[in-house]
Amino acid sequence: MAAAGKFEWKIAIVNKPLKDKTYFENLKETVIDTGICSRCLTCACICPVDGIIAAKPVDFPDYKERCTDCGACVRVCPRFDYKPKYGMGEYLEFVAAKSNRFVGQDGAMVTEIMMSAIEMGMIDRALFVGRNDEWMTEVFHVYDPSQLEMGTLTGTKYTFATVLKDLKKAVLLSKKGVGIVGTPCIVSGVKKLQKEYPLFRERVKLVVGLFCTENFHYEELAAFLSEKGVDHNRLIKTDITKGKFIATMEGEEEPVTFKVKELEEILPSGCSVCTDFTAVEADVSVGSVGSKPGFSSVAVREKNAAEVMDYIREKGYAEFGGDAVEKQLEFLINYKIGRFYVETAEEEGRDKSL
Amino acid sequence: MKKIVAPDYGLGETVKSHAAAIKVAIKEAILPQTVTSHYPGERRRMPDCFRGYLRFDPEMCISCFQCSFICPANAIGMREAPDNRYYPTIDYGKCIFCYFCLDSCPGGALKPTKVHDVAYNDVDEMLTPTCDMIDMPEIIREDERYVEYKIDEHDLSLERVKGLDDLAVELPELEKISMVSVCVAPENCLSCRVCEEVCESGAITSALDGDEIRMTIDTTTCNGCGLCVKECSMQVLRLVRREI
Repeated sequence: MAAAGKFEWKIAIVNKPLKDKTYFENLKETVIDTGICSRCLTCACICPVDGIIAAKPVDFPDYKERCTDCGACVRVCPRFDYKPKYGMGEYLEFVAAKSNRFVGQDGAMVTEIMMSAIEMGMIDRALFVGRNDEWMTEVFHVYDPSQLEMGTLTGTKYTFATVLKDLKKAVLLSKKGVGIVGTPCIVSGVKKLQKEYPLFRERVKLVVGLFCTENFHYEELAAFLSEKGVDHNRLIKTDITKGKFIATMEGEEEPVTFKVKELEEILPSGCSVCTDFTAVEADVSVGSVGSKPGFSSVAVREKNAAEVMDYIREKGYAEFGGDAVEKQLEFLINYKIGRFYVETAEEEGRDKSL
Repeated sequence: MKKIVAPDYGLGETVKSHAAAIKVAIKEAILPQTVTSHYPGERRRMPDCFRGYLRFDPEMCISCFQCSFICPANAIGMREAPDNRYYPTIDYGKCIFCYFCLDSCPGGALKPTKVHDVAYNDVDEMLTPTCDMIDMPEIIREDERYVEYKIDEHDLSLERVKGLDDLAVELPELEKISMVSVCVAPENCLSCRVCEEVCESGAITSALDGDEIRMTIDTTTCNGCGLCVKECSMQVLRLVRREI
């Protein structure tokens, strides 16, 4: 307490490149309008008036009336002062593993790690992305393994989700901590939140990153898939393996497959500037590449994730298939870097072949 | 031992009231209709601490939602009024007349009355909108006098007094609730100044101080309504007891 009868505290002003405009206008002009927005929704998570919505593109419809110009959105945006991350990142171990308890994408290790973290009391809720019958994504707060029985919480959806929009609510409600799963852009957003605000540093205890080449807007992917003859109501599983998109439908023996390259026409601009394939900032990264079919590759990067993996080993919840092969990831890591290079070369008018 | 003595009515009065009762009975036998009449015909004078129907003064309300937060029966809902402020509505179907709302009201907008026998035609009507809480409810009274309980040293006796009891209660000005808002986690503050915007008493102010924003809570003017605590999206504000 400062002087008697007064209670004071100070907050540093965030740097504003466009001086005569509000912070949201700054964000809009430098990130959203230029197309480098990854749609991670970190800004929507922190916005004190809850005004930023997950539209396409991300928007604050009535910012003129409601925005308080606090600068929080700019402070946490991972793309505002964008320093692309790439490569494999640092890790303590890189192993192939397969859950004995859960069924999901490949080895279902994301689910296994989250559920083990809940079981050992590290976190009391985990944010999962579920889907409805039309494959639209919904965010679920999972406290108990029985919630996974609905079967739609596991597995990849390949469309943007609003996980981060729910993070503040989850953090304020949780007693022990929160676990979050996300694509590399979401992981970067969470890490930025943790860097800026102690609340997130203390309460977000486990950040699981996913290997990711790109993610799609729901409407565009749905339209593309129905063109290919995929019926969303009967769709059970989507997967990308060896450069092929595989959509398995109920009652059909042969899944619909096509080359991932074809999806390039609906590739969101925010993904084309991203070079982070392995979520280098995550506590633990999980993906299918680098291990044999049915297994997940798990890159443990931080101590907290190593504790969870030790717990899984101790309880025998997962089957371990030796070390994952880092070399197999190189192609996709380089693919993303190459795509970014082509993109920026186009912008600057350079020769693409260079 | 204390005993309660009934008031002395006298012969004329007794005959008159019996005749009135027979008249009602005959009327009901010929033309049946629902009749609600007060029993006993005389009311007891209620003490000032009686917890009855609530009255509301929008001038004093600061829309802090404390009444609706504290209501254990969940009877109080906040509705938006045409002036974009939120005012309480009370569902008397749920209200347990605990008066927690009145006790927690920092502005003294809720006022007590001794009205306890309000009749409704259906359950929906029991949800009383704010506009109906401002004035005393209109009461059609058949009684002309009230009964007062007199307690002397030995016995409790009833005394009939002519005239109607005033059912409104004027409370002395409420003592200021000794709570004050403080920031418990300044490092989490977004400096969004939503607290400053909602603060009715003008206790929260912000100012530019070099390359920092200085937020100030004036603890002498803060009335402890907790509106800022509720609105803070990062929950950095907390109500604490005022240090005297």
